[in-house]
Amino acid sequence: MYRREYLTAFSAATVWVAGCLSDDTPTALSPPDRAVSSDDLAYPAHGERLPEVELDSPLHDQVVSTTEFVDAREVLMTFVLTRCPGPCHTLTAALAHAQADANEHGYESELALMPVTFDPEHDDRLTLEEFSRDNGADPTAANWQFLRPETPTEAETVVGETFGVGFEEVPPEEADHDDHGHHDDDHETTFIHTNLLVLVNRDGYVERAYDGQPPSADVILDDLHTVRDTFA
Amino acid sequence: MNRRGYLAALASAGVVGTGLAIHRWNSDPVGVDSVTIETLDAPGSDAGTIQIPLLDQPTVVDCFATWCSTCRAMMPRLGQVHEQYDDVEFVSVSVEPIGLSVHRHDIVEWWKQHDGRWTVGIDQNLEFTGSFDITTVPTTLVFDDTQRVVARETGMKSVETMSTWLSGT
Repeated sequence: MYRREYLTAFSAATVWVAGCLSDDTPTALSPPDRAVSSDDLAYPAHGERLPEVELDSPLHDQVVSTTEFVDAREVLMTFVLTRCPGPCHTLTAALAHAQADANEHGYESELALMPVTFDPEHDDRLTLEEFSRDNGADPTAANWQFLRPETPTEAETVVGETFGVGFEEVPPEEADHDDHGHHDDDHETTFIHTNLLVLVNRDGYVERAYDGQPPSADVILDDLHTVRDTFA
Repeated sequence: MNRRGYLAALASAGVVGTGLAIHRWNSDPVGVDSVTIETLDAPGSDAGTIQIPLLDQPTVVDCFATWCSTCRAMMPRLGQVHEQYDDVEFVSVSVEPIGLSVHRHDIVEWWKQHDGRWTVGIDQNLEFTGSFDITTVPTTLVFDDTQRVVARETGMKSVETMSTWLSGT
């Protein structure tokens, strides 16, 4: 079924049961409860195919396509910079929680974690490795592919335009410190950016695009388990 | 999509990557269910488990991560408040994934470095994270002696703020 057809099906059937994958539907999860359709969002959202882009994976010294794992693994993808004071850690840690869960339950070869930096001038290989470890991930594992555009221009093209994740550097004097005036000396430069974490099923369709405040890790794991169970 | 398009999307998503939301939790008239947390052998803390919030005793729970500089900065303030309230249980809970590159001994070492002197544990099964929708660190919750959430706030908190919360429990 084509995209327009299954969106029509969504509206015709007021009840959609999570975990009921059929030949007609590309996703295991129900559409999220929101006023806009996936078409109207800048980023890949429920029921849309993950865009295909090739990027460097410096931790493994290889080039990886964002669709590399179609037909083989579920994918969790997010967009971060290591100089970020807060949400990028939370997003990366959510992927690390999934990596730990996969290790614990033996599905590490059926999951790919793909954080993508949009700060390639700062985020070299060692920085990405340290950031991964700090947030609880195993950066040496084959399923941890930290992707990096080669240049800021490519970051804007890939992250900003292809994946619809807006970001903009904020000079230190304009940075928004917390409401109690706390200044974090570790993060002189920061970015305003969209928070986005995407769960993609093994057919390459977006199951859930978590935007805004990053969800708690257990929410992501619950959704991942539902998707895995449906595709099993 | 052009730049204007995705920045518009950013605005519509209402998302920023800086700053931390701060809000008070609406006190629930009914106490919450307790959650089991694994506790670590560290200064002020014994290895084992603890049910939080405690029954019949006010409890402060501070969710943290070792990467978090604000969590680090909060430790002296938490220590001051901890000294002032003997009848309140303090529990700091790491919400990090444990076992791949962050291990229990890393938490204990961080605890020692930052002069922790009360119970410290890990949310290994994300039970507390899920029950209380912990999406950022630090997040501090205060429960009264009937297990009601009487305060909840993310980011830095002053000693005065936390003392005010506890004076009402």
